[in-house]
Formats: sequence, structure tokens, C-alpha cells
Amino acid sequence: MRRWLLALPAMLMVGLFVVVPYLNIVVMSFRAPSPSAIYGPGFTLDNYARILSDPLYLGLLKDTLLYALGTTSLCFAIGFPVAYHLARTESRWRGLLYAGVLSPLLTGVVIRCFGWIVLLANNGVINQLLGLAGLGPYRLMYNPVGVTIALVHVFLPFMILPIMNAIQSVDPRLSEAARTMGASSARTFVRVVLPLSLPGVQSGVILVFVLSASAYIIPMLLGGGQVSTTPTVVVQQLMGSLLWPFGATLALVLSFTALIVVALFGAATRRAMRGVA
Amino acid sequence: MKRFPAWLIAFNALMYAFLLLPIAIVIPMSLNAGEYLAFPPQGFSIRWYVSFLNSEQFTSALLRSLWLAVAVAMLASAIASPAAIFYVRCLRAGREKFRLTMLAPMLLPEVLTSIALLFFFNQLFFGKSTIVPLMIGHVIITIPFVFLTVTSALYNMPPGVEEAARTMGAGPWAVFRRVTFPLIKSGIVTGAMLAFIMSFDNVNISLLLKPLGSSTLPIQLFDYLRYDFDPTAAAVSTISLTITLIVVLLIDRFYGLRAVRF
Repeated sequence: MRRWLLALPAMLMVGLFVVVPYLNIVVMSFRAPSPSAIYGPGFTLDNYARILSDPLYLGLLKDTLLYALGTTSLCFAIGFPVAYHLARTESRWRGLLYAGVLSPLLTGVVIRCFGWIVLLANNGVINQLLGLAGLGPYRLMYNPVGVTIALVHVFLPFMILPIMNAIQSVDPRLSEAARTMGASSARTFVRVVLPLSLPGVQSGVILVFVLSASAYIIPMLLGGGQVSTTPTVVVQQLMGSLLWPFGATLALVLSFTALIVVALFGAATRRAMRGVA
Repeated sequence: MKRFPAWLIAFNALMYAFLLLPIAIVIPMSLNAGEYLAFPPQGFSIRWYVSFLNSEQFTSALLRSLWLAVAVAMLASAIASPAAIFYVRCLRAGREKFRLTMLAPMLLPEVLTSIALLFFFNQLFFGKSTIVPLMIGHVIITIPFVFLTVTSALYNMPPGVEEAARTMGAGPWAVFRRVTFPLIKSGIVTGAMLAFIMSFDNVNISLLLKPLGSSTLPIQLFDYLRYDFDPTAAAVSTISLTITLIVVLLIDRFYGLRAVRF
């Protein structure tokens, strides 16, 4: 039986257009730059040395990680209550609420950014409404505030959905048992629901962190040139100037740093989850 | 029994507003008669839709995005569905490795994937004048979605129906055509529609891989928004939202939105 032929087209696609290009990008990061071609002859470590010694790129990396950390924390603080309600509600509006959580995922990122521009601009909806109350106008976009708001909005579903799935798989009778035995509702939450939902929290945090560290459309549109993160600089380098080896190195250093953060987070939460998952 | 404290309900209501408001706001903006994106709208008008229709750049980008998304949806489901069948029905050893390989394009950052593809194509195959690299990029990132929906359709099949057909004398092909395929068709269709949405809305891949001189609708809108804020952008967004909404409603009818999982 040659049943593996079923998987052949997909394996070929992923192998040829994911694995090979990713290996290629690693090779590219070791190439020497050239003023006339895409890259010069020979291999070098200069690209890495330049990034790791230049305060400009290190600062950029730090900013990117701070945006990602801030977005992740806000998504968790906002997402957990929504996920908890959505997992436990028996309301007949449940389907509609679920669609509401999914809606940012199913809308293009440019449209979502445009929506935020309409809301946050100096003469935008929010400032107009504040103006009626005699406040403002406040500068809400083309700065880190606007970028963070949009990042949280775009990636919130990736936090809510895994947490919701985790809470759904926690037997509600466990909380009831804790309540019967005299635990307050707050204590039940902290000692029963929260620890048991940690696997969902873990995947939500990792997803949101990685996605927001590599976002570039949102900082470009809501930062309006005032906000630079590593991905925006990479894309500008690749589109404007043809500094491919350097762009490749910058992208890889960012991904690698994000990977280290995720691994540390994974190790830290694994201890907390011992005996849960 | 009161299940949720009032503050939780109130907090969540605010958060749903936060989720929906930026998406919903573009619709009234597109029907605004005023010259700028003013609020409250200054009267009702469809002039910005007329302005959209008169813009050759926007209309051709819309058509390009539509046929591209259809092609990507068909290719991704044709490639990923057999792989999902192989994974659920045939594969014994190395299952987790195979699953991760199929899901890799979804787990890897899209920016990195698009940069990798940009280098790869420019070095080896194509110049910047064909849409093939863009299409391949879209197919790559949509394969995981079809794989997931078809896999879950296969797991949700009533157990034993395939064996029953086989015991009653049907050959492997007849079993597939008469039993398996009809039962997983909704999974394939849902996956294809998700692929359509992902391709239709994609910016990360398209921005770097788009052919010179022709762009997709999201890219055209992206370029437009960097210099201009007039309500034509709102009209374009509303049209794009409507197309996505129709597809979402179709998914909901076929399979239920619960199929959209991550």
C-alpha cells in the first residue's frame, strides 16, 4: 500500500517552502553584505557582532520585548475574566459572544488598525466625545499608547480561546466541592479554578507573546513612523534598502530572543503546573 | 442560582465593546457625507462607495484578492485534506512529529516566513513580476487551518461506519467516496472557507511577496492609509468586512463557528 502518497503533496509544500527557506535565511545571516549585489562573497559573523554591540539595535530589541510583555500582560488581565465567563455561561447568547471573541481574528489587520485610527485620532471619535465633556484632545495614537491598544485588541482572542478551552475541561463539580467544604468564592477561584486552567494560560501567553513580538503592521500604522520595533526595522531594511544579510540576522536575533523568553516562561510555569496537567 | 458576580458581567460587557467597536465603527464612517472622517457623521451618503468604484486601483485589487483567495482555498484544501486523512487513518509512528510539521506554518511567526520566502524565491525561481510566490505563501500559511478542521471532522465521525461498509463488500475507494468523504465534507469546506478568509485578509505575506505594480486589497488599503484618511478607506473596509462576514455565516451554517479553534 502506498498510502503515504496521500501526505506527499503537503510534505513537499512544507518541506520546500518552509524548511528550505528557513535554512536559507540562517545561511543568509552569515553572508557578507555587498553594495552592488544582494550579498557579497564569503561568510562572516559581522552581522551578529554588529547587532549585539550596537546600542541602537539592542534598544530596539528591548522596546520590542517590552511591547510584547505589556501586550501579553494586558491580554491576560482582560482575557481571563472573559474566558471564564464564556466557558461557564449557559446563556442563550453564548454563540453570539463566541462570535464576538472571534471577530477580531476574522477581520483583516489593516481594517482593525483603521478602526482604531478612526477612534483614536486627534479629531477621532474618542477625542470628539471627550471634547463634549470639555476634556482633551489627548494624543492617543502615533505613540506607544495607540500601538499597545491595537496590539491588545488584535491578539486578545489568542489569549481568550485557549484559557476558555482549559476552563471548560475543568469539572465544575470541583469548584462546588470546594464551596461546600467552606471555601469562599475568591478562595475557590485562587486554589481550584486558576491552577487547573494554567495549561490554557500557558499556551495563551506564549501565543500572544510571540505574535506581538513579531507584529509589524500595527506599529507601522498606529505608530505613524514615531514607533520603531525590530520587525518594522527589518521590513523597512528589506523593502527599502536591499540589506538582506543584515535584515535576516536582525529577524533571527529577534526570533531567538523571543524563543529564549518563551523557554524560560515554559520552565517557570512547568513547576507551577506540576500535578495539574 | 446567580453564577457570576455583577462586576464580572459589567467588566466583560466593556471588553466585548472593546473587541467589537473598532470593527463596527468603519461602517457608519463609510456612509458619512462629510469630507473627512468626522464624528458624528454629517449626513448620509454613498459617495465614498462611488469613489471606490471609480478607483481602478481599488477595484482591480479587490478582484485580484477575490480570485486569489478562491484559488488558495482550493489548493490548500486539495493539499491538506489528504494529509489529514493520512494522519488520522494511516500514520502509526511519528504522529506528533507529523502533526507539528503540518502546523508549523501557523506556529512560526508570519513575518519570518514571508522574509524566508522572499529570499528563497528571489534567489531561485522567480522575479518580482509574477503572483506565484504570493500564492504559494498564502497556501503555505493556510494549510494548517484545513489540516485542523479535516482532522477534527475525521475524529468526530461516528465510529465503525467505514468498517460496516467494508464488511458489506465495498472496496476502499467506494468506502471513501460513499462514506468517508460525505461525512468529512463539512470539515473540508470549513477549512477551505477559513483559508479563503486568511488569504483575503493577509498582509504579512502579501506585503513582501506581492508582484511589482499589482497589489491585493489589504495591501492597497495599507498603502492608502499611510498617506490618506478619507472615508474611501472606510468604504473599502466595509466591503471587505461584508465579504468576510458572508463567509463566516456560511461556515456557521456548515459546521458551527465552534470549529474555529486554535
